[in-house]
Amino acid sequence: MRDYILIAPILLPIAGALAAYLIGRRSKKARDCFADTVGICEFALCAVLLACVSSGREYALAVDEVCGRGLRLKLDGFRAVYALIAAVMWMMTTVFSNEYMGHYRNRNRYYLFTLLTLGATVGVFLSNDLFTTFIFFEIMSFTSYVMVVQDEKPGAMRAGETYIAVAVIGGMVMLMGLFLLENRLGTLNFDKLLSAAEQLPDRSDLYLPGALILTGFGAKAGMFPLHIWLPKAHPVAPAPASALLSGILTKAGVFGVLVLTSRVFLHDGLWGNVILALGTVTMVLGAVLAVFSVDLKRTLACSSMSQIGFILVGVGMQALLGNHNTLALWGTGLHMVNHSLIKLVLFVCAGVVYMNTHELDLNKIRGWGRNKPLLNVCFLMGALGIAGVPLWNGYVSKTLLHESIVEFTALAGSGAWIYKTVEWLFLISGGLTVAYMTKLYVAIFVEKPEKPVEKKPYMSVMSALAIAIPALILPVMGVFPSHIMASAARLMEAFMDPTLVWRDTLHAAVQWFSLENLKGALISISVGAAVYLLIIRPLLTRRDESGKKCYVNLWPSKLDLEELVYRPVIEKALPFLGALVCRILDNLTDWLTAALTHSLLRQKPIPPRVDGDHEPGDFIPHPSRSYTYQRISSSISYSLLLFGAGFCAAMVYLIIILIMRY
Amino acid sequence: MDKNYLLLIPVLLPAAAALTLSARPMRQRGPRDVFMAAILTAELIFTALCAAVVDGDVVVARLTDELYLTLRLDGLGKIFSLLVAFMWLMSGLFSHEYTVENPRRYCAFLLLSEGALMTLCYAGNYLTLYTGFELMTVLSTPLALHNQTEGARRGGVKYLLYSIFGACLGLLGFFTLRVYGVTTDFTPGGVMDLNKLTGHEGFVLTAAFLTVVGFGAKAGMFPLHAWLPAAHPEAPAGASALMSGVITKAGILSMIRVIYYEFGTALLRGTWVQYALLALSLVTVFLGSMLAYKERLFKKRLAYSTVSQVSYVVFGLALMTPVAFTGAILHVAVHSAIKDALFFTAGAVILKTGKKDVRELRGIGKEMPVTMWCFTICSLGLVGIPPLGGFVSKWYLAEGSLSSGIPIFSWLGPVVLLISALLTAGYLFSVTVRAFLPGADFDYESVQKREPTWWITLPLLALTVLTALLGLFPGIVCDLAAAVAGTVC
Repeated sequence: MRDYILIAPILLPIAGALAAYLIGRRSKKARDCFADTVGICEFALCAVLLACVSSGREYALAVDEVCGRGLRLKLDGFRAVYALIAAVMWMMTTVFSNEYMGHYRNRNRYYLFTLLTLGATVGVFLSNDLFTTFIFFEIMSFTSYVMVVQDEKPGAMRAGETYIAVAVIGGMVMLMGLFLLENRLGTLNFDKLLSAAEQLPDRSDLYLPGALILTGFGAKAGMFPLHIWLPKAHPVAPAPASALLSGILTKAGVFGVLVLTSRVFLHDGLWGNVILALGTVTMVLGAVLAVFSVDLKRTLACSSMSQIGFILVGVGMQALLGNHNTLALWGTGLHMVNHSLIKLVLFVCAGVVYMNTHELDLNKIRGWGRNKPLLNVCFLMGALGIAGVPLWNGYVSKTLLHESIVEFTALAGSGAWIYKTVEWLFLISGGLTVAYMTKLYVAIFVEKPEKPVEKKPYMSVMSALAIAIPALILPVMGVFPSHIMASAARLMEAFMDPTLVWRDTLHAAVQWFSLENLKGALISISVGAAVYLLIIRPLLTRRDESGKKCYVNLWPSKLDLEELVYRPVIEKALPFLGALVCRILDNLTDWLTAALTHSLLRQKPIPPRVDGDHEPGDFIPHPSRSYTYQRISSSISYSLLLFGAGFCAAMVYLIIILIMRY
Repeated sequence: MDKNYLLLIPVLLPAAAALTLSARPMRQRGPRDVFMAAILTAELIFTALCAAVVDGDVVVARLTDELYLTLRLDGLGKIFSLLVAFMWLMSGLFSHEYTVENPRRYCAFLLLSEGALMTLCYAGNYLTLYTGFELMTVLSTPLALHNQTEGARRGGVKYLLYSIFGACLGLLGFFTLRVYGVTTDFTPGGVMDLNKLTGHEGFVLTAAFLTVVGFGAKAGMFPLHAWLPAAHPEAPAGASALMSGVITKAGILSMIRVIYYEFGTALLRGTWVQYALLALSLVTVFLGSMLAYKERLFKKRLAYSTVSQVSYVVFGLALMTPVAFTGAILHVAVHSAIKDALFFTAGAVILKTGKKDVRELRGIGKEMPVTMWCFTICSLGLVGIPPLGGFVSKWYLAEGSLSSGIPIFSWLGPVVLLISALLTAGYLFSVTVRAFLPGADFDYESVQKREPTWWITLPLLALTVLTALLGLFPGIVCDLAAAVAGTVC
């Protein structure tokens, strides 16, 4: 099949990026309009493609000539949904950027790299071959780096360093995994991986390549212990870029994890447990960090990390539940979609705050949102969505994920207590989500500001639209789960488990709002209320000198994996050791030559020269400095001396031998 | 007359041009540069013509019945000769703006060494190869010495001594082959005489090892790599580009001829010679990258990078599998293009700003955007970021390595290559980042446009486009290389 239409959503933004750059050299206004148009066209294109796919068609394209091994693209339900999400996010953030980026330097660069990243990201989601995925994945990593460091402040540069280092190291480790995987399976094509993996006599051969590839994708997804870039990069990147990083680039990493889980390790218990464990740690750690954080965007970034943990828990459950994993499939897919849309809303809201106040510290922006009903409502929609409150979209996906854990606990037998613990951690993390979102909401929209905020328009109509439209979608999705969410899940499920073709999906209407399902959400909300009232309000605030309450971050700053382990090892220890060994090797030949010229091949002394100049063609080193030494060392008496020393040593040796013998 | 005599044109044309240049005092810069450009273009055209037309060999000179010089064009020769001619043209254009003192001498030796390299590319037997190799060493040394500074002198002498020592080891191989081989004409698969060989394997293997290490001096393989970082920083940028990008590849070509066309893979595969070569190449790969990462002089950093990258190729050759061979040849082309471009960038920066240390390059991307963009794209290619050049070749190398079944090295190789890629990213991106992201406190008022003229940017752009094309459509080189690999592996 050669459906060339599949190149269009990749090449359109790339061509648009170059065109926008050239236009931007002439007129900034035209460039902004053009970039918006590209975003909207991309959205329209992806929407049309999704419509075609949902009517049952699949597209595939193989371009064999390119990059030595050829690119393979495919469009099915999951990818169509995710391409559309990517397009939506880029459309909204690009529109918002017009105002947000208004006063930045180097905007041309920003638009160039944003649109390039869009092309690469869509490429990742359309790829049908890990080779192709890797190509677009690497392009995406590098182009998004420029988005992170856009404002070039020292903090941004440092965060960018972390980001690019994680991306490059992750990419290299992943590449090694791909080499091994291809060597063992003979293919990287998604359609053939499954049968190749099943025919392998010993599947344990696949764990090493699997782990290496997981490192690469997990680093991008923000999975523990490679999450370090997330809380650093988001606060310093421009808000539209943070929305993209958090909402969609992390999902590109999750996409890779999904491919591994569904194609290479289908229904593999060990793999499922590893993903589940990493996912649980990520989920809890992210939520805890978010509760402690006092920086608006850092809180949202940690929240992203935590939500990725939720998604990974779902992925782990997919593998563990085997043939009964439909709930987990739906939960994972929908939580990805929900998180993307919610983070779009929340980060753009944060962008509005920053655009006006140039502050992200909760103590400085406290109360800034009062009397701003539009922003208030939009932020609230996002907060309720992510907190998993019934009637909002997050509730649906979290409930599905929760149900899948409950289902497996019932099946697990003797190890059930482990999964019971995971279930409780899941609910508690949900509670922490409620707590930190409440903290943000109360701080920005409820508490009284230190000095009255002057009334003036705080965002343009276009920006308002870019926030309000996605914010409105969230409750609509949550109120009618059987319509929008279920049909999206039906589109996505086949990608996440190819064996679903032969099994039944969830046909019976799910009782979304039954008491059983509401229970989990209610537990989470109660935990959240308790944490907020008993921990955040009393323990995480202090009264400053003037007696005002302010938020403090009590998380010990020493406890930072990056500063504690990664940077010392990678920046200092390893290069030092490597360079030490290499310097010795590097000079080995020279030292050998030097040793020879000073011993066996000693040169005759040359009379010292009066003039210090060298003649061209005179290659013998100037003797003046070591002249005296040379005079001595080349004299007959010196040679005799050395001969005598050697003779003495030999005699001593002989005497010792004689003594030993008798 | 035999059409194969066409092969003499690319060999003799540059030499003739060089003599003209020295005899006729072309003191004016304009005519001389036009003359250079014309000769180099003609050379490229003739090389392409030869590649299209010539099929077979031609004996040029007979010293005795058994010692003769012969030129021949096979697949390998085609790839290398086209590469040489193209890179020389690029460097010739670059040298128009990058002025040096005593330009006539510089141009003459540039042309002479091209002729020597062409001899090497077209060599049909060991003697011709050896002649070409020694000629190239002698004729390119003045390029390294050209600036006549203390450092240049030291570097040039080091280059000369290392090369001659290596060539001496090469001569050992020649004598061995004269005794144990049927002939010394290059024959795919080797020339060893099995009857004579029996009982003397140990000696022949040692000779083979020493020969390869000797030619490896030119390719910058450990332990004879030290001339590269010494000779490059002080040579004119155009010459460093050629020494790094092309002349090291002459070492590679000689190694291919020795391993695949003389001693033969049947003899070497699975022996200690193969393992030793693999080990040496991997040590070099790591050593070069690590020291480049620590180096602060821009051109010296690039020189160490060459040490590392050329050994990727050696590693591929030592694996002796068709896929790895293809990857190695592709990497030869890719690295030539990229390293030339990188040295041109370094040269352009030195020419326009006088900055030699990478730490001084803050904000240079704002002053020389085209140059630094080319640098960035090429360095991405060198690291192996898809879809640019280095990625595909590295993929083939790793694939060939893993499927070779050699114990330990089959997986250690890709690991070292990737660690080296990581270090490559470290030492090249730091330049890019400093150049384009000077920081929020950068004084944008002080920026002045210092972009070089088309004489420099055009070759740079051409090489950058070539890098991208080799990554996107490696098929042309790969098919040629795979055809060669099919006959020799």
